[in-house]
Formats: sequence, structure tokens, C-alpha cells
Amino acid sequence: MSEEKQDEELKELVLARIGIMPPNLKLSIGNFGTFTKQEMIEHVKCGDAAGKQIIQMQISFIKALTSGRLIEILNKNE
Amino acid sequence: MSELLLVTRPKYDDGTEYLAYYSSLIIKEAEKEGIQVKDFEGKEADKKNVINFIEKKNPKIIFINGHGDENSLCGHGDAIIFSLDNITLLKEKLVYARACSAGAILGANLAERNNGCFIGYKYPFQFWIDEKWSSKPSNDNAAKLYLEPSNEVISSIIKGKTAKESHERSKNMMMKNMKKVLKLGEKKEPGAMGMLQVLWNNFDGQVLHGNPLAKIE
Repeated sequence: MSEEKQDEELKELVLARIGIMPPNLKLSIGNFGTFTKQEMIEHVKCGDAAGKQIIQMQISFIKALTSGRLIEILNKNE
Repeated sequence: MSELLLVTRPKYDDGTEYLAYYSSLIIKEAEKEGIQVKDFEGKEADKKNVINFIEKKNPKIIFINGHGDENSLCGHGDAIIFSLDNITLLKEKLVYARACSAGAILGANLAERNNGCFIGYKYPFQFWIDEKWSSKPSNDNAAKLYLEPSNEVISSIIKGKTAKESHERSKNMMMKNMKKVLKLGEKKEPGAMGMLQVLWNNFDGQVLHGNPLAKIE
């Protein structure tokens, strides 16, 4: 799969994840700002600094899930 | 002589308003512990005020709230207070920087030859806000998931825990909250994954530089 196609699929995944968030929640991302669900969607679609930050957080989370690191850490505390 | 805590609490956007509220809880705790507090609130949280105070009064504990990046920590209106030019002012102190990314480079400058510590974040510090409660952060249970564990860093420091203990107590609270949110996800609560990934961001991003055994005397 080309990098471009991967990026596109990742963007779609991020948009889907944001899409199911409750409408009353806003995300504060430091000096990038505080964003409603709709604003997050717009930033991800346009690919600006805030949008890239939102996507980067998603990538990091996916890596933690797929590598098992998140579950390993949560289980360590049991 | 009691220890001295310096707190910066700029308040000029949604994010900093929440940080300012949660920091006010720490101020109350510190006063109960007999720790003197110097609170730079709102527009007072600027470079001139903060640096002058550090040079004159030598506070042991420094609690910075606000925005930042890899190379700087800001006060009111995004104006820089600490940068690579003056970061050595924070040596030998117990520093918690609740701001974006300063743990990546700025804080790392305090890793060596420092009997103090720097606890901060190598990524942007993030949290969800429930818009229903945005004018009353105390009632916002969404934000609480992120800001209570964050407060635990400084709360532990002022209670005499070491830097490492304070850092780990905070992370343990984040783990506990991740498990709470995972249970919501099992009940198909919408947004559980979104809430979990921000907890993970802050957990993975929180770093400790300097002496892990540093603490107040």
C-alpha cells in the first residue's frame, strides 16, 4: 500500500473516531487550542498543525494498542 | 523555615482556565501543609515577575501551568517565561511543568548535574472538557480524569514524596482512570476510546528528568 493511501486511510480512521465522540466534549491541546468535535474534523481534513497533532496522537495510541504495550502496562498494575 | 512554592496560573483561554482552577486546589493543599505559596495569577504570570521572584526568594518548588513547546514554557498570553537561555534558574528545584512538550528538550537540560527534578511532558498535554461545565470546572467529570492525576504530581511533592514517587503516583492514577474508561468502552459508551487515547497520550508523555530522589526536606 502506498504511503499516500496509508495516510488517507489513517485520516479516515481518525475522522471516524472523532465522529463518535459526544457533541458536548471539547479537546484542549495546549497552545494548539481547544476544539469541538466539528473543529477537530475540519483541522484533520485540512491537515494543518492542529490536525497533524490530532493524527499523531492517534498513531501513538494505535501503536500502543497493536504492540500490546497498553494492555501490558494496565495488567502490570493488577 | 517552611518551604516555598511558586505557582504560575495564567488564565486567558479554556485550557489555562481549567489549569488555573486545578492549581488553586494545590494552593489550598500547600497552605494546609504549612508551605508558603507565591501565586502568579492571570496577567501576573509573566517573565519579569517570575524570574525576579526566583532570584530573590529562591523557591524550592516550582509549579508552572500554561502553554509551551519543546524549548519553552509560557505565562500569560503565550509570552515565554523559561527558555534554554534561563533554564538553569530551575536547577536544584522541584519543578512540575503542566504544559506542552517542554519535557522533550527544555526539561531534559535539567537531567544532568541537578539535585532537583523536572517533571513535565514530551508531548502536548491534553484533556477533554465537557462544554456543559466549562464555566464551572469543578463539576466537569471529563476533565477530572486528566487533571486529578496531573495534580497528583505536585500534591505528592508538597507532601514530601520523592520526584520518582510523585511521578509514579500520578501515572498510577492515570492507569486507574484508563481502566475506568475501558470499562465504559465495554458498555459501548460513545467516546470511551477517544477519552482513553488522551489518557494514554499524557501517561506516555509524562517524563521525569534530574534526581529521582529529590524531595522537600
